[in-house]
Formats: sequence, structure tokens, C-alpha cells
Amino acid sequence: MVEETDQVHRAYDDSPQRFRDNNAEDKFSGANGVLFEQAMSQTRMAVCLSDPNAPDAPIVFANRAFLELTGYSEQEVIGRNCRFLQGPATDPEKVALVRESLAAEKVVVVELLNYRKDGSSFWNALHLGPIYDDSGKLLYFFGSQWNVSEVHAARAEEAYAKALSRELSHRMKNMFSVIGAIVNITGRAQGMQEEARTINDRIQALGRAYEPTLDEASLGSIEAGQAIRSVLAPYDPEGQRIRYSGNVVRVDPNVVSTLGLTFHELATNAIKYGALSNDSGVVEIEWEPIVATDGQNGRLKIVWTERGGPPVTHASGNSGSGQGIMTKLMALSQGNVTYDWQPDGLVVTVTAPTFLEQVKF
Amino acid sequence: MKQSQCADMMVLLLDDEALVLWDLEEEMRDAGMETITASSVDRALALIAHRVPDVAILDVNLGAGVTCEPVADRLSELGVPFVLHSGDLNRSGEVIRRFDVPLLPKPTPAYRLVEAVRALR
Repeated sequence: MVEETDQVHRAYDDSPQRFRDNNAEDKFSGANGVLFEQAMSQTRMAVCLSDPNAPDAPIVFANRAFLELTGYSEQEVIGRNCRFLQGPATDPEKVALVRESLAAEKVVVVELLNYRKDGSSFWNALHLGPIYDDSGKLLYFFGSQWNVSEVHAARAEEAYAKALSRELSHRMKNMFSVIGAIVNITGRAQGMQEEARTINDRIQALGRAYEPTLDEASLGSIEAGQAIRSVLAPYDPEGQRIRYSGNVVRVDPNVVSTLGLTFHELATNAIKYGALSNDSGVVEIEWEPIVATDGQNGRLKIVWTERGGPPVTHASGNSGSGQGIMTKLMALSQGNVTYDWQPDGLVVTVTAPTFLEQVKF
Repeated sequence: MKQSQCADMMVLLLDDEALVLWDLEEEMRDAGMETITASSVDRALALIAHRVPDVAILDVNLGAGVTCEPVADRLSELGVPFVLHSGDLNRSGEVIRRFDVPLLPKPTPAYRLVEAVRALR
């Protein structure tokens, strides 16, 4: 047999009516009383009333949802102070907050760890507040409780994931720091300091390319713009010489190492010969996704435009290792890179195949 | 030993990572600077008590929740300029905000740290 939990078809909850019969003098009478009865028996919100004028403020009413949530019967609940819901891991500070609010007749909302009759616990979003009669006399305390255990679990998981990715990010940066040290130490020992520095700069560019991705590692994709900015940040400490434009687009993580090294080489070249070699040149970087017909796979197109650098000649565009690396990397990843030595400055267009995920605003 | 305009400069290096200390030590020496190294707060404070450095590079997080703060405080009292070096800008936030000094994120190549130290003088 299927357990019937549907509110409408549920067996009639007569606890509100009995409460009214026993409390004929209060205001839950007439039309209000009928409303109270129906609302209390139908709501899935666990509700109880306690009597602050009786010794130890006992519960005088608890609806069906309250009994279902806590696992107690009405007889076990009525007449007791609601502290029986507390247990070993209930936060005493929050209990104190509840006590203070009750004493001051203030509304309070807290999340408490409460316990059922069977000993199992649940996170209770507890709302407490005073109910007064017409003359302003305190009549009851109203308490509503909502089981927010799932919300709590999700929140805890999210916090844990965040802490974990931060730790991971920290460790990765330290690891790159140590790798850099090893390369330098080895280079010095072998009398190849310059070579070691070139290797190190490339490794560090790679590290920076992955850096912004760790905070959201769980997404499994990487925001292209952030990765490019991170790689190029050290080449423009004041943030004046390199300009970025492009929408938020998430790409395959494995595109990042290629892009990281490519932009490192372009920047190194620009510092030696191009727009970043004088005081006034600028670099503009624009990216745009080129979506394929299936909507998922596509290419990321990035245009690197230098302006205001020293006069451009074909030869000044470093035909050495930097360009070789980019061409090779792009060929191996079935992408493409083209160089255009415009009179105003070098223009490089890179297209890399990747899945694309565009964020729309 | 190479001589340079920094020959009279003594740098205190504090980092809990031996390889990073090694690299920095060699880079500073190649730049003509004298170095003293420490991998803990206690050791760094002892070195400072023995001889006050001209400048310092302080790794912020020294493991197990320990930070370079006591060393940074001591250097501040003595008027010794220093830079902070950290791989975890989130967790280092408190320390970084307390001291208005240059911050170099890890990883920063050793030669850039040399430049940063030179800029302190």
C-alpha cells in the first residue's frame, strides 16, 4: 500500500479543534477559529504554541506536521517545554539566543540542530514570536519549525568544495614556485642561467593560465578571458598597456596550456620588439567564439593587435623560437595561427578548436 | 664573488620551502647581496636579534596556520623595509592588509624578487 502523504487527502487533523475547545477564552474563536483550524491541519509547516504564563512555558498546541517532523505523539508533546527537542550537538549559543528573545518577547529566527523521538537529528529553521490578545497581554509563543537539513548539507558541501579548491590553488602555486626554484638552481649549476630563465618563464605562464580556473574547478571548463588575463598580468603591472574585450566564454581545460604558452610568447616578443618595448604602445586582445552547427563544438578565435610600437618590419617579428612554438602548438591541436605585420603593429590571429559554453546575460 | 651597487645590502629570507630559499639565496648572491635564511618565525627572530638585516622577503604562510606576522611586526619596529611573498592571497589577507608593503604573489621568478628588493632601498 502506498503511504498517503498528500495534504489534501490526509486524514483530518483534529488537534486544532481540541485546542480550541480547551482554550475557549482566547481569540481562536468564531470565523478566526475555523481558519486557524483549517490552516493548522493543512500546513506542512510544523507549528506549536506554548503558554508563557504557565510554569516552564509548556507546549499547549502542536499540529500534525509538528508530530510528523519530531516523531512524537500529541500526548508526549503537550505539557512539556519544547527544549526536549534539543540534544547533545545542539548549539548552546543558539539556545541562549532563543531564551533571550523569548524573555524580551522578540521575534527570533534561528537554525538549530534538533532531535526526533528516535534520536535522529535534523536542522530546524525555527521561527518564534509572541502572540498577544486585544489588551496586549502575552498569550502564547508561536513556534514554526521547518526541516532544512538538506539545505544545510548542500551549504556544507559547497563550503567544503570552496575550501578544497582554495587549498588546491594554494598548493599548485607553491608547487610552481618550487618547480621554478628547481629549474633555476639546476640552470645555475649547469651554467645555463639564461636558458633556465626562458624555461621558467614558460612554466610560470602555464601555471598562471590554470590559476583562475581552480576556484571553479568543479565546473570542468575554463573561462577563456580570465585565463588570458592571468597569463598576461605580469607583462602589464599597471594594467594600462593591454586591453581585453570579449564575452564570457568557457572552453575546454586542455586548450588552456596552448593558449597560456601562446600568449606568453606573444607578450615576450612584444616586450622585446613590439608594442610593449616602448612607453606608449598598446596591445588589444579580442576573443569571440565561433559556434559550429552542433552548438557545442566550435573554435575560439582570438585576435592580438599591437599598436603604437616601434616601426614594424617583418624581421622584427621574432622568427625564432616563440613563433615556432605557437605555430607548432596550433598545428598539433588542429588550430591555426596567422601573422600579419601591419605598418601599425603586429596582428596575430589564433583559432583553437574547443567545445564552447557561452554565458548569456 | 660578483660585486654590485648592492654589495653592502643584507637580505633576510623567510620561507618554509627549502628549495625556494635555496633559489632566492643564489639569486640574491648573484646580484651581489648578502643573505641570511630562516624557515621558521623563531629562527628569523633569532637572526634579527643577532643582526638586523637591511631588507627582507617574507613568505606569509609558514605552514600549520603560522604566518610571518611576528617577524613583520619586529621588522616594522626596527624600520626595516620588507616585501611579502605569498601563494595564498585569500588566507594571507589579514596579514597583507595590516602591512602596507609590496606584495609579490607566488610564483614570482627569483630575479623579479631581486628587483623588488632593490626597489625597497
